[in-house]
Amino acid sequence: MEAVVKNLERTMELLAVSQTETVQRWDKQTLDRAFQWTQYCEHVYTRFHANPTVRDILEKQLQVTNESLRTTFQGYTDFTFSDLSQCQHLLLVGLLNNAAVPSSVIKLLFDTRTVGGKSKDATGHCTELIEVKSARKVLSAIYLKRSTSFPGPDVDVIGMTLMEILDTLLSPASGVSKVGLAEKLLDNILQTCGENEIFSGVVAAALLSRKHNKTATTAAATTTKMVSEGVSLDFILVWLQQHYSLLQHMCSTLPIGLLMDLYQQSVRFRVTYRDMLKQWGSQLEYDMGEGEWVQMYTTDGVSFKTLSDHYRSLLGACPSTKEDVERELTELKVADGDFDVGGLSVWGDLLSELNKV
Amino acid sequence: MSQAQTGSMAGLTPQEVAFWLGKAVEWGQTESPDTQRDTCLHLGPLRAFLQLLLTHIHTRSSTTETMRTIPFVGQFLGRLCWNPYVTADAESRSLLLQSLWSLYSEEPHNAVERKANQWIRNLLCQLATEEEDSTTHMLVKHMGLPPKEYNVKVLRKMVWLLVEEVGESCSSLADPNPRCSCDSVLAASVACVPLVTCLETAPLIGALLQRPVTCDKAALSQDFLDAVSSAYSRKCVSLEAQAVVSLWCHNLASLEGAVMSLLDSVLSNPASIPHNLENTITHSLLPKACSQHSSIFLIVNDIFRSMLVQVEGNQTLLSLIHTFTLCFLRELAALQPQECVSLKAFFPHTPQSLLAPLLTHPSEMAQEAWPEHLAWITASLQRLTEEEEEGNRGQCGVFEAWFLLVQCADWLEVASQQLVSARPQDCGPLLWLLTFYHHPTNRGHHRTQQLVAAREVWDHLRSLFLLSAPPLPADRLQSLAGLMSAVPQQPSLDSLLVVSLLVNFAVFSLNPLSGAREIVRMVVQQSGLVREAVCVLDMVELRLNRERASSSLTDRVKLRTRALRGTLTHMVRHDTDTQPLWQRWDTHTAVPGCSTNQTL
Repeated sequence: MEAVVKNLERTMELLAVSQTETVQRWDKQTLDRAFQWTQYCEHVYTRFHANPTVRDILEKQLQVTNESLRTTFQGYTDFTFSDLSQCQHLLLVGLLNNAAVPSSVIKLLFDTRTVGGKSKDATGHCTELIEVKSARKVLSAIYLKRSTSFPGPDVDVIGMTLMEILDTLLSPASGVSKVGLAEKLLDNILQTCGENEIFSGVVAAALLSRKHNKTATTAAATTTKMVSEGVSLDFILVWLQQHYSLLQHMCSTLPIGLLMDLYQQSVRFRVTYRDMLKQWGSQLEYDMGEGEWVQMYTTDGVSFKTLSDHYRSLLGACPSTKEDVERELTELKVADGDFDVGGLSVWGDLLSELNKV
Repeated sequence: MSQAQTGSMAGLTPQEVAFWLGKAVEWGQTESPDTQRDTCLHLGPLRAFLQLLLTHIHTRSSTTETMRTIPFVGQFLGRLCWNPYVTADAESRSLLLQSLWSLYSEEPHNAVERKANQWIRNLLCQLATEEEDSTTHMLVKHMGLPPKEYNVKVLRKMVWLLVEEVGESCSSLADPNPRCSCDSVLAASVACVPLVTCLETAPLIGALLQRPVTCDKAALSQDFLDAVSSAYSRKCVSLEAQAVVSLWCHNLASLEGAVMSLLDSVLSNPASIPHNLENTITHSLLPKACSQHSSIFLIVNDIFRSMLVQVEGNQTLLSLIHTFTLCFLRELAALQPQECVSLKAFFPHTPQSLLAPLLTHPSEMAQEAWPEHLAWITASLQRLTEEEEEGNRGQCGVFEAWFLLVQCADWLEVASQQLVSARPQDCGPLLWLLTFYHHPTNRGHHRTQQLVAAREVWDHLRSLFLLSAPPLPADRLQSLAGLMSAVPQQPSLDSLLVVSLLVNFAVFSLNPLSGAREIVRMVVQQSGLVREAVCVLDMVELRLNRERASSSLTDRVKLRTRALRGTLTHMVRHDTDTQPLWQRWDTHTAVPGCSTNQTL
């Protein structure tokens, strides 16, 4: 641990120095070594990010180093534990923005000779970056049906990574489960996104990331893995239930197809979703003047049409629960008086709407 | 666009400049599918223009001078740097970056140069560190993903999604919809032109090439195919084998390029053959492609035939054709039963009676059956040549039969081996076969004389190798050597024929090894055909390896080949004749093939 701490200190100094005039003396070797140090930091992050004890120790050490560096370097910005994963990027930004860096060093970063495999060293690093970014932009302009579907590959990657992290944090195999860290992570995401589409997209992508993996898993998938998959999914759903308005927003804005996928995958979600549908239904009031069911009192409910769309998809997409759902709706209609006339029970009207086809 | 160096700006004409400046502005203004398509279609010419620009900058003495002669350069390069279609392509990206660095002054002398430096550094910084929107950036950080890794993962996900979708054939057969998905795939292929050299997008390029063809509409643009073909020939793209085969199916020029490239690498480096020959051929993926598509096999063979006409009597080429056919037959045998096509599709012009006998490999039958089989083959060929001479068939029948013999040359080597132990009354047909192989056309009716000469050689060799004790009769040796050297006045035997017989005798005869070595050494030294002897020995060894005959011959023979190789290698070091094998040919070897019907 001491060695790790010392190395982190050194890298922080390196980062601070890279933004000063001292870089005038840098050459290829210095650059390569700097890159290696940043890779080391990223590796430290990967190893310890799910370990609260070590994380705390390192955080404290980073604070100490921050203080001393603040006095030495003017305009110093503090370095936190989560910055460790961005270390190489920070170095790069610092160097490219520093006019004192010799042009030979910059030229190395933008070297154009193609390297065979995945190059981990500094030469051509920026050229590769440009290539990848350009390729992304070119591909994003290709309009083929499936590839432009929600939530989009960029959000998809975030969702998938989120799931992987949750798996690590919550798996029983890693000792004490770190529910606290997991909750903090979700809270952070919510704070960053706000209650908007990106957030819905991230969560949806996370919840559905298993669907793609399922087709690719080998027959030898261990039971522990499957258990942990279910654990992470459940965890997110429980967290969502504590942020009910979020859940409601998600269910009302996500494409119904995605919701059906979720419904098929998770038992917990089925319960949640059907409860939500019932709640939406109960919020609708019959407007005599317009002759239809509308939201009178709340602003974040759904229209009658949307509700019936949801129910229709539900009945169609999931044959195993079809009878159950129909029975539920019938029971609700009966509880309302079992009238066959329209306008008296939202459930009755729903049933007749659904049976129209 | 002409490459002529005329114009006011040393190679850059005002019209060109105006054209490309206009294009750069146009492409930067809108991002409609039309402008994107336009960019992709102009990538090739744009590269040429960027090269001219770079040359121009290099020939100026300073940036100040450059700014004076081509003041537009900064704006132009800047616009292109922000065009992802230009920066995704490896070569354009490289040219852009090189141009920028050429404008950078290590020691700026004035404000213009200082400003240029600053502008260049800023541009590069922005290009590399331009960030996602802040929300995504924060999310990526929360996930603990380094930004570069995130970008790569997203790219891979996009490629994966597109690969899945491209792989589905359009539903036009099942559902007669005028707008099948081929239109959008066609547009996608155009958009992928800049991505041909990108490593991460290689799976998508492969998927596009291998997309099942189910409707009449073309799903791949010609520009895309040309771009892939060019990148493949420059080895700038990594495609899996099936994708390459698909490329050749779509694009004839790339197939021809691949064949010429193979011929080039083999014919220009004869020292590496024949041991590496099989590897080189298999590595080219051509045999695999030929086994899957008979049309490809026919095209490849046409190219081989025309090469044979151009480079007469070239043993390297003959070996190449033979080894190629072996690889091809191996691939064919490995195909699934439902993919098998009848042999006639692959050999449409060959006389049917010869097809099965020659294509059967010697290892597929017992050694005892070889003499009879050879006799059958020889008889068929003799009949064919007689018919041709009588004018009953066109010449092409003989040429095709000879070509097939070249492709299945293992039988020829079997014949040579058989000659070692043949009785005088049996050697006739075998010698005829050898003579036919080395002198396929009977121009000037010299065959009879050639057969006589061949018989003489065989007699000499037989008597030499049947002697059990030295000293070797010098006169016999000398006359043998005389038969091998080219005599311009009279049509002589191809020296390779004689060397081939000599080596076969040395390897397969029963006389003591030391004697055989001595004979070979003396004859080869006198005639100077060391390299040819090594070549023949190589071919014998390779054939034995292929056959892996379980006969008792094998161990004994292996010892002999090894010992002979030692003798010859020793001589090669002292060989002063440096003319490579493929340049030497017997000028009296008749031209095979009929030029009228076989030209491409």
